[in-house]
Amino acid sequence: MSREYLRFSVNQRLQHLFMFVPFIILVITGFPIKYPDSNFGTMIFSAIGGIGSARLIHRIAAAVMILDFGFHIIYLFFNIIVNRLPFSKLYLLPNKKDAQDIVKNLKYFLFLSDERPQFHKYSYVEKFDYWAVFWGMFIMAGSGLILWFPEEFTQLVPGVVIQIAYIAHSDEALLAFLAIIIWHFYNVHFNPRVWPANKVWYKGTLTEEEMEHEHPLELEEIKAREEGE
Amino acid sequence: MARMTHKPNLHLILGILFVFTQNVRGEQADAENCFLCHDLTSFILMENPNTLRNFEVTSTSYQHSTHRNVICRDCHTDINQFPHPEAVQKVDCAKACHVTKPFALTGYSHTDQRDAHAISAHGANLNYSKEKNDSKPGCKYCHDNSFRNIIEDEVLTASSEHCMRCHEGSGLAGVILHVSSHSAHRSASASIKVVELCSSCHADESRMQNFDVNLTQVGGYQNHFHGKALKRGMDNVANCMDCHRNHLNLPADDPNSSTHPNNIQMTCSANAYCHSNATAKFSAAAIHSKPTPTDNPIAFFVEWGFILLTAGTMAFLFAHILLDFGRWAGEAWMRRKKS
Repeated sequence: MSREYLRFSVNQRLQHLFMFVPFIILVITGFPIKYPDSNFGTMIFSAIGGIGSARLIHRIAAAVMILDFGFHIIYLFFNIIVNRLPFSKLYLLPNKKDAQDIVKNLKYFLFLSDERPQFHKYSYVEKFDYWAVFWGMFIMAGSGLILWFPEEFTQLVPGVVIQIAYIAHSDEALLAFLAIIIWHFYNVHFNPRVWPANKVWYKGTLTEEEMEHEHPLELEEIKAREEGE
Repeated sequence: MARMTHKPNLHLILGILFVFTQNVRGEQADAENCFLCHDLTSFILMENPNTLRNFEVTSTSYQHSTHRNVICRDCHTDINQFPHPEAVQKVDCAKACHVTKPFALTGYSHTDQRDAHAISAHGANLNYSKEKNDSKPGCKYCHDNSFRNIIEDEVLTASSEHCMRCHEGSGLAGVILHVSSHSAHRSASASIKVVELCSSCHADESRMQNFDVNLTQVGGYQNHFHGKALKRGMDNVANCMDCHRNHLNLPADDPNSSTHPNNIQMTCSANAYCHSNATAKFSAAAIHSKPTPTDNPIAFFVEWGFILLTAGTMAFLFAHILLDFGRWAGEAWMRRKKS
């Protein structure tokens, strides 16, 4: 049996769980309001008990998601400050190599080259997912809270902020939903190389073959470190 | 006992009123036996070969209508002989009738409403032609008094929550006064009907072409919180009348208008069910205009920014997915060809 490499800790896997379960609930309870004439929305609302329940469920799910995101921020700082892990060692920031990888990958896709880019812990695809959620959380939680407490917020900010929050919440919701259902689901489910699903989100580990194929630079580094020890 | 509040129970009041109003329903209205003829099916007069006038008023429908306790001649005042005169006056809604106001001994009339309507945007304008003024909605345009359609009791139940939004705070007497007159008149309409009614003109380009009316307002309402929530069944959100008044509708640039910048905060915060803690900044938020680069540049560019961001991102992601899949499919095809 080949060796298993830990990719996501239990903590990280739970963070993902507490992000995507509220996400699904927020989509189900939010989109029927974005599209008030849709029959699909009517079906959903009659199943969950109408707009009153939907608003309540939406806000509970939002609170869970915001807490999860808040936990993630604390988790990041905890790793950087307490565990003294340099930010660069989290491998999260986009860099020059990501740009080169995109070009390399596009050439590979177009049969212009047979060389696939070699990824470290996170490919540019995964970094995009991570930062898209990061940006989305600020937009969605920020605008959502303004729409939840409009009178309180306008003690401080002008009324046009409510309107901007309304546009941002509605439009960013669509972008986030499309990015997840098309991009993220392709990369972790529908991609024929991955189909039916990438199980790392609950298993947390990758096999040696998977590591070689998807994260060869990280594998190299792990092996070099082990030899050094 | 100390925990008892004075919050009136609307359903109890309605129930009591329902019981006590059952025996008077419809008996007074036909004191002069008008239904002897008018209750006949297809009671139609052929004025000339091309025009038929329908005089049919079914008694059962009339007895379920707003005016079921008003005798016919209270409104049709000039019909004093039989056979009736051929040319008769139109009904004047401001005439006092035999019905007395609740808690008052004066005859009931719609004078207040008529006067408010007369100075509102819907009233006659001296600078307009007669045709143009006639195309504005009078009493009967909105209050179509559909005694040919039985008004279902559900209408009132469905919108009682909406009534209570304004009238809960005015004390028990106020509630009885208001609810009794409305349950007697059965004229309370569900919010969605109000929006439909206003939209029937304000979203109609041909009807609005002679008037200085912004046609995007209805769509703007439908696409904003209030409109969307209403479509999804939240009856207690603001409909057109809640902000623009029911009879004294005035354009926002009129200093007496409920939507004038000086008054809008009062309108938003007027009752506990709406935004009682609305700030001036809150009330200044545009809620049903489409942002344009001139009057609301920030919102306009945010809106376009998101459209471009979404389109751009999705275009890149789609292209990436298709190319990725293309490579896989191409390799699979080549492998198959080799084997």
